[in-house]
Amino acid sequence: MPPWLLVDSLTYCWPLNDEYRASVRNIPGSARWNRIDAGAVLGGWDLSDGEKRARFERLVLPHLDAAYSLAVWLVRDDAHAEEAVQESCLRAFRYFDALRGDDARPWLLGIVRNTCYSLLQRSRQDGVPLPFDEEGCGEDTVAAGAVVSFPLNPEAAAIREADREHVRNALRALPLEFREAVVLREIHGFSYREIAAVCAVPIGTVMSRIARGRRLLQQALGERGASEDTGT
Amino acid sequence: MRCPEANRLLDGYVDDQLEVAGVLALEEHLRGCARCRAREESLRALRAALQRHTEFRVAPAAMHAALRAEFGVRAAAPVQPARRRVAFGATALAMLALAAWGLQGAFEREGMGAARSAGKVVYHISSSQTASAALRTLRNHLEASPETKVVVVAHNEGVDFLLRGARDESGELFATAVRQFKGRGVDFRVCNNTLVRRKIGSEGILPEATLVPSGIAEISRLQESEGYAYMRM
Repeated sequence: MPPWLLVDSLTYCWPLNDEYRASVRNIPGSARWNRIDAGAVLGGWDLSDGEKRARFERLVLPHLDAAYSLAVWLVRDDAHAEEAVQESCLRAFRYFDALRGDDARPWLLGIVRNTCYSLLQRSRQDGVPLPFDEEGCGEDTVAAGAVVSFPLNPEAAAIREADREHVRNALRALPLEFREAVVLREIHGFSYREIAAVCAVPIGTVMSRIARGRRLLQQALGERGASEDTGT
Repeated sequence: MRCPEANRLLDGYVDDQLEVAGVLALEEHLRGCARCRAREESLRALRAALQRHTEFRVAPAAMHAALRAEFGVRAAAPVQPARRRVAFGATALAMLALAAWGLQGAFEREGMGAARSAGKVVYHISSSQTASAALRTLRNHLEASPETKVVVVAHNEGVDFLLRGARDESGELFATAVRQFKGRGVDFRVCNNTLVRRKIGSEGILPEATLVPSGIAEISRLQESEGYAYMRM
C-alpha cells in the first residue's frame, strides 16, 4: 500500500499538528520514550501540584472509559483491566509533563497499551493463568497459512447471523496485535493514524493488522455458521 | 487494478481511510469483479456484527471516583445534598485559586494558552429531528476545541437516537457515532422519566449511554453546580 493513498478522512481523523505529533512520540513505556524522552521530561515544566491536577483532570480523566475499554479487550479480564488502568493513570500522572498539546487520548491509550503488555508478560512469567496468546502468532506466521482468499456471499450471510457469543469469542481469540488494532478501530472509532500513534507502528502496519485480524474473524464466524448449517 | 491490489485496499475502503484516487480506482474494479464485491459485502457484514455485539465499556464508578480522588482537583460529587453545598463551596474556592494560578502561569509558558479556554458544555437534545444536526455540531465543536468536556442529555423524543438500532437519515447506525464520541470523552445521559413515560426499557438504550433520574434536573445540576454552558439542540 503506497502511503499516498492514505489521508485524514473527514469523518474520523482529528487535525494533526506538530503538538499532536510531539505528544504521541512521548508515550511512557515505548521504546523511543526510553531512549530519548525520559531524561528530558525530568527537567520539564515543573507545574505546581494544583495546576497539574487541574490539567490532568481536564485532559486525562475524561478518557478513563476509553482506557478501560481498551484494557478489557487486551487483557480479557475485568479485574486485571482495572489494575492496568490504575497503573496507567499513575504513570500518566508521573510523566504528565511529557504530554505535548491538549489531546491526551492517544497518549493515554498508548500508556494503557504498554501497561497491558507488561501486565500480560508479568502474569505469564508468574504462571498466573491470564490468557496470553501463544508465541509465534506474529503477522508472518499467520499470513502464511491461515487466510481464506476470497470469501463468497454465504460467508457474509453466516457472519450476519453469528450470535453475540460467537462474535465476542472470535474477537477475544484474536492474536494480541490484531485484536488491539481491530478494537481501536471498531470500538473506539480511531483512525488508522491514531491507531499507529497508540501502537507505535507505521500506518502501513496498522492497515495490514486490521486486514489480517478481520480475515481471521471472517474465517472464524463464516466457518462456524457454515458448519452449523451442514450439521442441522 | 487487479484483485490482489483491490484486496489490499478493501479494508481501508470500508474504513473510509483511502484517498479519493484510491477510492475511485477501487470502485471501478469492484464494478467489474463479483468476487471482490462479495469480499466487500463480507467485510461490511463483519463490521456490522462487531458494532452490534461489542460495546464501549464504561469503567466502574468506584474506579472513576478513586482515580478522581487521587489525581483530580477534588473528590467525586458527594451523595448527601447537605454536604454537596459545603463541598461545592470548597471547590469554588479551589477553582478560583487555580484560575489565578493558571492565568499567571499561562503568560510565563508557551503552549498553555489553548488549555485555558477549555470549557464544559451540556448539549440538550429533546427532539428526534435534531439529533443528527446536533451530532454534526458536536463533531465540529470538538474539532475546533478537542479539550472541551461535553455532556449530551437526551430527553423526550430526543432519546430516540440513543435507542438500539436507531439510524440517521442516511441509514447509518447512530451507535457508531455515539461510540466514537464516547471514545472521545463525551458523556451521553438519558432521562429516565422519559423512558418510564414512553414505556422504553433501559435495555433498549445503547450501552454507551447512562441513565439519570431526570434530564431537566441533570441539566440544571450541571449548569449550577458544575459550571456547564448550555446548548439547546
